[in-house]
Amino acid sequence: MPVPGTRLQTPSFSRRSAVSRRRFLQGSAAVVASLAATNCRQNLAGPPAGGGADDGTLRIYTWANYTDDGLAQAFTERTGIPVVVDIYDSNEVMLTRLQAGGGDAYSIIYPSDYMVSEMLELNLLTELDQSLLTGLENLRAQWSNPAYDSNNAHSVPFCWGTTGLLYNREASPGEPIDWNFLWDNQAKLSRRITMLDDMRETLGATLKSLGYSYNSNNPAEIEAAYNRLLELRPHIAAFKTTGFENELLSGDLSVSMAYSSDAIALTLEDERMQYIIPASGASLWTDTLAIPATAPNVDAAYQWINFLLEPEVASTAVERLFFATANQAAFDLLPADIQNNADLYPSDEILAKSEGIVAVNTASTDLFDQFWTEVTSA
Amino acid sequence: MAQTVRSTAVTATPATQADVELRRVVKAFGTEVAVRDLDLTVHQGEFFSILGPSGCGKTTTLRLIAGFETPTAGDVLIQGANVSTVPAHRRPVNTVFQSYALFDHMTVKDNIAFGLKIRRMGSPQVRDRVAEALRLVRMETMAARYPAQLSGGQQQRVALARALVNHPAVMLLDEPLGALDQKLRKQMQVELANLHRQLGITFIMVTHDQEEALSLSDRIAVMNNGQIEQIGTPSDIYDRPSTAFVADFIGDTNLLPGRVDQAYPSQVQVTTDSGLRVLACTASSSDAQTVVVSVRPEKINLSLSAPTAANNCYQGHISHLMYLGTHLHCVVRLGSGETLMVRQPNRAESLGVDTAVYVHWAADDCLVLDPA
Amino acid sequence: MTPAPSPTPAVTWADRLAPRRWLGPVTLLGPAGVWLLVLLVLPTLLILEISLVPGLRLGQPSGGYGLGNYLQILQPVYLRVIGRSVAFAVGSTALCLLLGFPVAYWLALMSPQRWRNLLLVAFILPLWTSSLLRAYAWTTILRPSGVLNAMLAAIGLPTQNWLNTPTAVFIGLTYSFLPYMVLILYASLEKLDTRLLEAAADLGASPRQSFWKITVPQILPGIAAASLLVFISTLSDFVVPTLLGGASSMNISRLIYNQFLGPTRAWGFGSALSMVLILAVSLAIALLIRYGDRNTVTET
Repeated sequence: MPVPGTRLQTPSFSRRSAVSRRRFLQGSAAVVASLAATNCRQNLAGPPAGGGADDGTLRIYTWANYTDDGLAQAFTERTGIPVVVDIYDSNEVMLTRLQAGGGDAYSIIYPSDYMVSEMLELNLLTELDQSLLTGLENLRAQWSNPAYDSNNAHSVPFCWGTTGLLYNREASPGEPIDWNFLWDNQAKLSRRITMLDDMRETLGATLKSLGYSYNSNNPAEIEAAYNRLLELRPHIAAFKTTGFENELLSGDLSVSMAYSSDAIALTLEDERMQYIIPASGASLWTDTLAIPATAPNVDAAYQWINFLLEPEVASTAVERLFFATANQAAFDLLPADIQNNADLYPSDEILAKSEGIVAVNTASTDLFDQFWTEVTSA
Repeated sequence: MAQTVRSTAVTATPATQADVELRRVVKAFGTEVAVRDLDLTVHQGEFFSILGPSGCGKTTTLRLIAGFETPTAGDVLIQGANVSTVPAHRRPVNTVFQSYALFDHMTVKDNIAFGLKIRRMGSPQVRDRVAEALRLVRMETMAARYPAQLSGGQQQRVALARALVNHPAVMLLDEPLGALDQKLRKQMQVELANLHRQLGITFIMVTHDQEEALSLSDRIAVMNNGQIEQIGTPSDIYDRPSTAFVADFIGDTNLLPGRVDQAYPSQVQVTTDSGLRVLACTASSSDAQTVVVSVRPEKINLSLSAPTAANNCYQGHISHLMYLGTHLHCVVRLGSGETLMVRQPNRAESLGVDTAVYVHWAADDCLVLDPA
Repeated sequence: MTPAPSPTPAVTWADRLAPRRWLGPVTLLGPAGVWLLVLLVLPTLLILEISLVPGLRLGQPSGGYGLGNYLQILQPVYLRVIGRSVAFAVGSTALCLLLGFPVAYWLALMSPQRWRNLLLVAFILPLWTSSLLRAYAWTTILRPSGVLNAMLAAIGLPTQNWLNTPTAVFIGLTYSFLPYMVLILYASLEKLDTRLLEAAADLGASPRQSFWKITVPQILPGIAAASLLVFISTLSDFVVPTLLGGASSMNISRLIYNQFLGPTRAWGFGSALSMVLILAVSLAIALLIRYGDRNTVTET
């Protein structure tokens, strides 16, 4: 499924074996979506026969580049359990698929923080049997009791990152320091900006630029953020989660709001690319490992989680796949240059100002929905 | 100019005004020559037919006059003006197409009004002219119909009305009755003749049907192989064909190839290849020695007893007999081995296969022609 | 085939149920019928049902049936999206017709006979690549540092930043669906009876008059069919507006996509939008069937 999308990346891109969390052409999202939609219909009409057959295979549903052949092979050699990996490019696609009847197709999923909360509300996740997990003690302290899932009762933090601004030094009117950069330079940056096609991230960043919380439940604050985003909207080229890289490299875009994982990959590829975590704070996201409530082959799922919690496995995976690990023991095994990469592992000062995105109350959700639709449809 | 001289020579009655003139017209499609070196003059008010087998170039000739084709060489004149390079829509002619080519997205009325509206005629006048045309072709009640709702004969009338409503200088008719059945055809022939008489304009009709051409036309051009074999009145063409092709193409005839023995002022003595001695008229001043004698079946007399005639009398017996009601059609095998078609009024004589008969005809009833 | 009807008037039930009578139709129509039922009719009914549950979000308790989702469409922001979709569709259909007609006309009536098929294939060739790939290629052409601006600059014209604007959507849609327009118009023009054009010329019509009074009315069903196909396709296109339109061009397909796979996940509202789209498309097709073919009209 991801192949048609990835083929469209520039060669320099696909050669690189670095992280890319949500890096897909949106078009491939369309392909995936249409397939997913087909599945929805079929599954709504009646559950697929044998869709979740427990044939001893470990079926994983994850982001692109979170699992490679090396990792899967190592696991299979260790446990004798074959691994099948399916890819999604947004939490919503994953959720929709699971809700629409695919919940018994996968043993392991990788929901992001806020999605963990949402799936908990929808009772879509298995409560983890802590006695079956080993190596939880290796996690960094800040993930021992995350806001999105108390005591990691239903999820295990896998990797994390920030959402900031990625810019081309040669095509930007200055060095951005904070979110305000976009508003202060909107004339010069007109149609040279992309923002994430992600309601909570983009509205949240706007909230943050006004000094409010990403997770505001205050209607006045949310509306203020909406108006501020509306002011910038004519200058926004596109709302894109992926697919802005080429235009940024060619200088057709100046600044893109980006997930750190995608951004850092690009900064390593081209020195004109810079990533900053805005001074007033960014969103901190965590992608987790979780087991769907109706998952088959739960034993294998636990084995997979324990496998990834092993420091050696985690650190080699990080070196190869290049994401920020939430595993302190694995972090300690990393070479110094990766440990000291401030983009990957920002300072505690910035981390302190940043927030994880958590579910807001229903009234706020409706407000976010409405304003987001207004902004993107205007 | 030499061309002018030639064309005036072709003109039979110089007093009548020429309406359409082709001067040494050549039309080639690639290497295929459809019309070669054609001279033709059609007089004003004449019903002129171009007759010939398919592929003879008759339709191309008509299309050259209509303006759908431009001549490769030579000139086309209509009412004295050289229109060789004038496109079809600026020529004062209208065509009735073999396929009718009615506009199936328009009603009968709109089809007929088309040419008038194109000329930006005022609508009251258009209405009157269309009504007149509809009356002429007796289609008044069909004005609001679409062509698909009409029979073949009705479509034919609409096609006629659509052309004549414009009061063209010349009406061109391309096999106008070709798609109709036999009975309808006869009826439409009468109507065409009536229309021509009422309108008084020049009709040029292309047809492969000799009967149609003979019955309707003032003059006929017989074409073969891109050239005109003969131009003349129907009786000229039938009674005095100038070539063996014409004699054979128009009506039935017996063609007897032979050699000239002796030439008299208006007659020649011919010995046919099978050894018959025939006295015949000469149509042209040709002094060819190898000739064909043409004698029409109905000119041959048949008798059981020896006739008194001096010339062209032979003995034979009937080898085939066809009873046609008013006529008998016989094939007579002569003693010399030749066979002759003979058409005989149905009289009381008892004729049958193998009946021994005499055949004879007058020298004036047979013609000596150049071999094809 | 079914046997000829028996001359005896007494037809027993046994006769009616005789297997051979219905075996033929069932065998011929059955597979496609089941296919259509399972993959078209049932899902559409399902969408209809979901659309009648206001505020439906999967996993959340919902109220009863109602028209709330349809009323929501009447909000200005959504009407604007629908209006924009229609504008994209009408505009690009008109552009396709304007560009496609001369090409089809030339191909069908004027191009050298022996090159015709080759030329036609050359024109359809783009259809053999993915529409996604073609839309993506346009981003590299239209972006400020792209091929188009390099060419404009080379000949001294002002450069254009068309990417992520409605202009880019028009260009992309027109490019994507032009081959369909040309193909259908070509098929229609190829069947045009050129003798009618001769007849028109014979009656005094200039080539221009013949074109408007004969050619266009004659191939009107073809024009209608081609335009409708392009209209329907562009109305519901997702790839081009998404890739080329950027933030400026939310259309109905993108909106529907967002309801199902975006953050709002408002399936009920998305289904209502889908039903409106299905209805609009069905209406357009019905109009075509009713008025598109003159012969059908005159025969009834």
